[in-house]
Amino acid sequence: MTYIPSADDLEVITREVWTSFLDGDPDGLVPGAPELGAERVTGCVHLSGAYIGSIMLQCSAPAARHAAAALFSMQPADVTQTEVVDALGELANMVGGNVKSMLPGPSALSLPAVVHGQLAVPGAQVVREVGLSWRGESLIVSLWQQAAAAA
Amino acid sequence: MVIDDSSAMRLILGRIMRGLGFDVVEAPNGAEAIARLQSGAMPEIALVDWNMPVMDGLAFVNAVRKEEKWRQITLMMVTTESEQSQIVRALAAGAHEYVIKPFTPDAIADKLALLGVLAY
Repeated sequence: MTYIPSADDLEVITREVWTSFLDGDPDGLVPGAPELGAERVTGCVHLSGAYIGSIMLQCSAPAARHAAAALFSMQPADVTQTEVVDALGELANMVGGNVKSMLPGPSALSLPAVVHGQLAVPGAQVVREVGLSWRGESLIVSLWQQAAAAA
Repeated sequence: MVIDDSSAMRLILGRIMRGLGFDVVEAPNGAEAIARLQSGAMPEIALVDWNMPVMDGLAFVNAVRKEEKWRQITLMMVTTESEQSQIVRALAAGAHEYVIKPFTPDAIADKLALLGVLAY
């Protein structure tokens, strides 16, 4: 039986990334995401190999800006879209890489893709998802699996 | 030398290395890092991400290890690639150490001390 990381696993991994690079506070992320809102930034990495799917990190626009500000040691108001894209890509990469280590292998990890808005993964479905709140803003981490592989 | 396609990660690693007393040069992928080496840069250590566009970290390690003149460069992978098989591939290719993201500054310093490039 294939082990699929739980929602708790996604939360633990995300918390470790956030604690290491964003605010140093393990309690900075709390379970339960308020409404993400229409303005969101999505970072995604794809897996191919023994597991075919994706790991997606969706942040509200303010959460994405604050995350970029923390990574670049800047004020949120000074953060550019380039920095938001870089930050969300690296955060998705770190979360995704650590989720990958819990999935069947070997699998290859793609370079991260970042979009403003939602990202569709054709033919894939969400198998795990966790909503978190950070500084009053929302983020959602989800693990996707290609439908054919999930069947 | 810090080689990572994320400018945020280059900034973070660069800050850590400068704090440990190193001068730092950066490259956003393996190909640009090789170009810097070819133009005369001779870092004591290179911190190398795995997943990068143009030339990834494993290809960079292979390229560096093929050149006798770069043999003295200590190579440390700093990456999210945490599958055992990938770690073995990197070490077999000639990387000296392996750090999995996320990391702490202390974890980087400890690995550098183990490698003998940082004196405590």
